[in-house]
Amino acid sequence: MNNRAFAVTAPAVETAHHTKIRVRDLHFHYKEFQALKGINMDIPEKQVTAIIGPSGCGKSTLLRIFNRIYAIYPGLEAKGEILVDGEDILDPRYSMNRLRSRIGMVFQKPVPFPMTIFENVAYGIRHHEKLSKAVMTDRVEEALHGAALWSEVKDKLKQSALALSGGQQQRLCIARAIALKPEVLLLDEPTSALDPIATGRIEQLVEELKSQFTIVMVTHNMQQAARCSDLTAFMYMGELIEFDQTEKIFTKPDKKQTEDYITGRFG
Amino acid sequence: MQLTHARQFARDSERRSHADARHDRIFRRLLKFCALLVLVALLGAALSTLWGGREVLFGQGLHFLTSDAWNPVKDDYGALAPIFGTVVTSLIAIVLSVPVSFGVAMFLTEIAPNWMRGPVSSAIELLAGIPSIIYGMWGLFVFVPFMSGIEPVLSDTLGKIPLIGRLFQGPPIGLGLLTAGIVLAVMILPFITSVMREVFQTVPTRLKESAYALGSTRWEVLWDIVLPYTRSAVIGGIILGLGRALGETMAVTFVLGNSYNITSSLLMPGTSISSSIANEFNEAVGLHRSALIALGFLLFVVTFIVLLIARLMLRQLAKREGK
Repeated sequence: MNNRAFAVTAPAVETAHHTKIRVRDLHFHYKEFQALKGINMDIPEKQVTAIIGPSGCGKSTLLRIFNRIYAIYPGLEAKGEILVDGEDILDPRYSMNRLRSRIGMVFQKPVPFPMTIFENVAYGIRHHEKLSKAVMTDRVEEALHGAALWSEVKDKLKQSALALSGGQQQRLCIARAIALKPEVLLLDEPTSALDPIATGRIEQLVEELKSQFTIVMVTHNMQQAARCSDLTAFMYMGELIEFDQTEKIFTKPDKKQTEDYITGRFG
Repeated sequence: MQLTHARQFARDSERRSHADARHDRIFRRLLKFCALLVLVALLGAALSTLWGGREVLFGQGLHFLTSDAWNPVKDDYGALAPIFGTVVTSLIAIVLSVPVSFGVAMFLTEIAPNWMRGPVSSAIELLAGIPSIIYGMWGLFVFVPFMSGIEPVLSDTLGKIPLIGRLFQGPPIGLGLLTAGIVLAVMILPFITSVMREVFQTVPTRLKESAYALGSTRWEVLWDIVLPYTRSAVIGGIILGLGRALGETMAVTFVLGNSYNITSSLLMPGTSISSSIANEFNEAVGLHRSALIALGFLLFVVTFIVLLIARLMLRQLAKREGK
């Protein structure tokens, strides 16, 4: 982690890590309301980037543009550029299937599908790949291992996922997302509905997953951002106020607004 | 002074909690009474039709259930033709209206732009408000002539296919099982659609979004996520429609043809339990009257069996999902 020491003085965009997601002049509107006002941001590969900010600052909106999940609702449009390894994913011609298999997402509340545990994980794989039963079984097991859930569910793969605890369900959702072998994992306040112990396990999992995935995480919880992220972005009223190494954001941020938010003076 | 006040308070609160317990008890009994009232009404209706039809049901026994004869002159009655007509027209109605309802509900909840949702939903509710006699009249004066126009086409195309071809052969008279089934389908469509639309709206957005996030298409989200999530309510809605179709009288009487036939062709006229009763009750006496009441009892039985099958289906589906 020699980049840490180096980066304390340098802006985040100049870390030793290759840039995975390059956001350029991104604007987004909900009807009249402008939710994002010209975001520019370089998210490094295989690092955990946390996005913090008060409610309504646009942090979830930003995350939801990275996999174009907003596109399922009519009339919403993002303007600007998001380059993932140089490919503009906002280009309407960009294949939705390719996008969704490259960028996985985990939501605020654990939402297992009304199927068995096995099917929950296999469901997404099946959309993208035709696998034999044996290979599928391996893939599901691998994903459940990856989400640190295998030992708890290996004997009840054929049972309904709805019977799992909240924390287990959320790890199942992570397994479901990583089963597609995405490059980027988007976490939208993944622990906001969980108790402290389950939250701890998810945070630990995030730490483990970062060697394989580029993780972008929206969180309400500043301690969480400080604990598990390498970089932190602070957003306010649809603008990216500051984006830097997490250490720097939480110890000596450049901007007054960031400092006020971090120290609890507003938000 | 202080003490008496406290004592007074203690006494009041004790009195209050006694009163509360009493009110709660009364309320519980009232609710129980309402629920039992439904059971009593149902049981009463079933038993009185059983009693009214006893001469035929117990006097002729199996003959009544297995015969397709219906001859008031010779006092020879069999319920098979009306049962056949009831079940077949209702099945046609369900087969036609469930996919359309599903499509409409899916469109309204997932795809339609906001400005369209209101008007289309109201139109569907209006459809539910039309009295069945209007459907019958429309069926007879408008739809039957239309059907007699397209039935020859059906016979020439579908009628030529082996196996299912037999369903579409026959004289193009317009009246018949298929016509009645289609009219019924239109009648039950709003019920099934409203139930489906309501329950589709209860599916959490995040659940759908997580399927979209895995790359699912709209169809996959609806078929794999929304439908299983709402399954029991959807089946409930279908059963509601089916129940209505099984018992529908006026509209069916107008367009079914009212002849005691069991045919393999859906283009042929038939009869149904409720239309037989409606047509003949005026002039029925003696055994004839008993046979009609017994038909009414059989309608109970048929509906009950349908409900039972639905329950079993639900249980089977739940088992497959690992519950």
